[in-house]
Amino acid sequence: MLVVAQSLDDIVSLDPAEGFELSSLQALNNVYQRLVQPNADDSQDLMPTLASRWAPGPMPHSLVFELKADAVFASGHPVRPEDVIFSLRRAVKMNRAPVFILNELGWRADNIDASVTKVDAHRVEVTWPGNVGAAFALSILTAPVASILDATLVQAHETNGDSGNAWLKTHSAGSGPFKIRRYIAHEALVLDANPSSPGDAPLLSTLIIKNVADAASRRLLVEVGDADMARDLGPDQLAALEGKPDLKTVNYPSATIHYLMFNTANRDNPVLKNPKLWEAARWLIDYEGIAERLLKGEFTVHQAFLAAGFPGALDSTPYHLDIPKARAILAGAGLDQGVHITLSVFNQPPYGDIAQSLQSTFAQAGIQLDILPSLAGEVYSKVRERSEEAVWLYWVPDYFDANSTAGAFARNPDDGTKTLAWRAGWEIPELSRATTAAAQELDPAARQRDYLALQAAVQESSPYVIALQARATVVMRKVVHGYRQGLDAEMVYYDRAAK
Amino acid sequence: MQGIATLAFTLAGLLLVTFGLSRLSPVDPAVQILGDHASQSAYAEMRRTLGLNDPWPVQFERYVVRLAHGDLGVSLSTGERVSDELRRVFPATMELASLSLVLSTLVGLPLGILAAGRPRGVLDGVVRVVSLLGNSLPIYWLGLLALYVFYAHWHWVAGPGRLDDAYEYTIDMRSGSVLLDSWRSGVQGAFTNAVAHLILPVVLLAAYAVGNVTRLSRAALLNEGGKEYVMLARAKGAGEARVLLGHMLPNAAAVIVTVVALTYANLLEGAVLIETVFAWPGLGRYLTTALFAADTPAVLGGTLLIGVCFVLINGLTDVLVKLVDPRTR
Repeated sequence: MLVVAQSLDDIVSLDPAEGFELSSLQALNNVYQRLVQPNADDSQDLMPTLASRWAPGPMPHSLVFELKADAVFASGHPVRPEDVIFSLRRAVKMNRAPVFILNELGWRADNIDASVTKVDAHRVEVTWPGNVGAAFALSILTAPVASILDATLVQAHETNGDSGNAWLKTHSAGSGPFKIRRYIAHEALVLDANPSSPGDAPLLSTLIIKNVADAASRRLLVEVGDADMARDLGPDQLAALEGKPDLKTVNYPSATIHYLMFNTANRDNPVLKNPKLWEAARWLIDYEGIAERLLKGEFTVHQAFLAAGFPGALDSTPYHLDIPKARAILAGAGLDQGVHITLSVFNQPPYGDIAQSLQSTFAQAGIQLDILPSLAGEVYSKVRERSEEAVWLYWVPDYFDANSTAGAFARNPDDGTKTLAWRAGWEIPELSRATTAAAQELDPAARQRDYLALQAAVQESSPYVIALQARATVVMRKVVHGYRQGLDAEMVYYDRAAK
Repeated sequence: MQGIATLAFTLAGLLLVTFGLSRLSPVDPAVQILGDHASQSAYAEMRRTLGLNDPWPVQFERYVVRLAHGDLGVSLSTGERVSDELRRVFPATMELASLSLVLSTLVGLPLGILAAGRPRGVLDGVVRVVSLLGNSLPIYWLGLLALYVFYAHWHWVAGPGRLDDAYEYTIDMRSGSVLLDSWRSGVQGAFTNAVAHLILPVVLLAAYAVGNVTRLSRAALLNEGGKEYVMLARAKGAGEARVLLGHMLPNAAAVIVTVVALTYANLLEGAVLIETVFAWPGLGRYLTTALFAADTPAVLGGTLLIGVCFVLINGLTDVLVKLVDPRTR
């Protein structure tokens, strides 16, 4: 039995077609499987999981997957093409939070029936109307929303035509290494091993993920040994646990990047759309100071929109704190006096510390930042309405492909799609076309070159100042081994963990 | 009859204010549920499902009509029925609050009596300082400190949570009271484990409440001190203890009962910070989480429950005061 102490308050649903919160995604990754999944040891390597292999289909945008012959769900039911068809159609038709990932393939409620079809008793054909290549389609199919569900079991729990949604919020119907024994909202998620999971059976018999909302309490639980692992401890707690003989602190790179964004659509403060302000701001952040001293190792300095570890990530960090240089840029643009900007931030750690650091360095160049801390939901609502002036935000890729991030930062099409660039009010017809072309590029090497160029362009001049990449720190008892964690939010693997 | 009318009126007002405040919140519940990256059609569908496109008087009316049928709605953030969730979290808070109240009354009342016996004496000074400390030390800090000392360092008591993991998911929590359910389960060691988990949060909450009970019962007794019947009793030669316990205490009883009842009502509201530090799945934490998630049905349901508790406790206090103090009959 392994006990993990973390916050579970974010969980809305454990239905793969609906759950899209950090804790739900991490759980879903251990309860359900997809046709293909990233290798737990190397996120860039795609592995057949419920499929044994795949091949291009007869049509241009299609793939034919052959299912593993002996794969069964935790219920004992065999994994059939009907289950794949049921799961993908269900996810698209339910149209809940994570469906936009499947929409990237052009799948909509009215075309999904024709897009996933049975070839024979072991094979299923997947086609997509979107103009994207097979590598991109495979990345999309690794997302938890593309999990394969036990259709027979789910249909048995359908009520009022809800596709089993009410039942699946707290129960599981998957083939992953674990199955849900019990989920009590805001209390705990108890998972039992599923020894019949295709792949190796998990080493643990039971996994208890406890909701301990307070970081200091999590620290005490793992210190005493009542929990084997604790997530999201602050710098103070980590410092207090340093050197304890029974504990180890492990840092995993995370794909979360943190950035400052100026809202150029805000008409009340025209200075926000001045590219000289964007340029000066790049020299006004104490990157090293925040990453190394203020937040003691929670972050590394990273200045491109693709997180280090992603295929095609740009790892150059040309900017550092240089106040004279920023002053010169601002003076050249006539912005050296009386610039006031309101900075919206989340009202929880570590955002207050980051905002104060920005306030102090910006002030040295004559820019007064007024910090406005609010609830996360309030900050997001303002950003969606484009009513804030500047905001400090973080970005987590939604699926393991460069387009997830590039499509947000460097694409603002005039078709009504409200991307991040739209929220920044950044008009970029050419860059948007280049981003769309990169998603459609079939040659992997050329695609990587495209993304490097896009990142360089955004890094040089854009209303975003990308500053930091987060690190996920997990404290665990020394006896725990085999736990793995990847770059993306859901890439948490308990199957080889033991103690 | 008048009591029921007061109850209905109070609750209706409470609901209207809470509902109005939730509508004023700048947080869009659809964004809160679906996250920041969902598609426009998903947001539109969620807003339609939640009925957010209707004018808010319509939404309020719909809520009240459902409520009249005993339906508190479904929590936006968990998809469970609010009534089921409240049934789960309220007993946890009630157990904590009731035990703390018993402890704080058992300690606070004698302290208040002793302090009132010798006003401005040494004991009175000590009692006043201690009760003020209990009231003014940040309970969050005190909770963490107590956990650090008694749980992590000395291992005298159990840590956060209601039971150790070995028992937690094997015992049927039918009543919601961890003491009752662990006793009834017959699982060896479960009951003592539940007690070990309860000690710290109960003692800390009681330490907080004891300040109130002590200060106010002392003040109530001192208030009686200068009255003529006390002088008469003393003139007749009654000893100090007899004057205090036999004459002053019965006269101050009405105030003391009210203080204790109000303390209980406050404790039942859920001690958010204690519940957070001790990972105690109670009403306070439930309401706070719901507030942060802009989960209107859960917030309304929780507020309503607290409102009912306050009104019931007030009613009960009136009855008790009439019982202990014939002058109020």
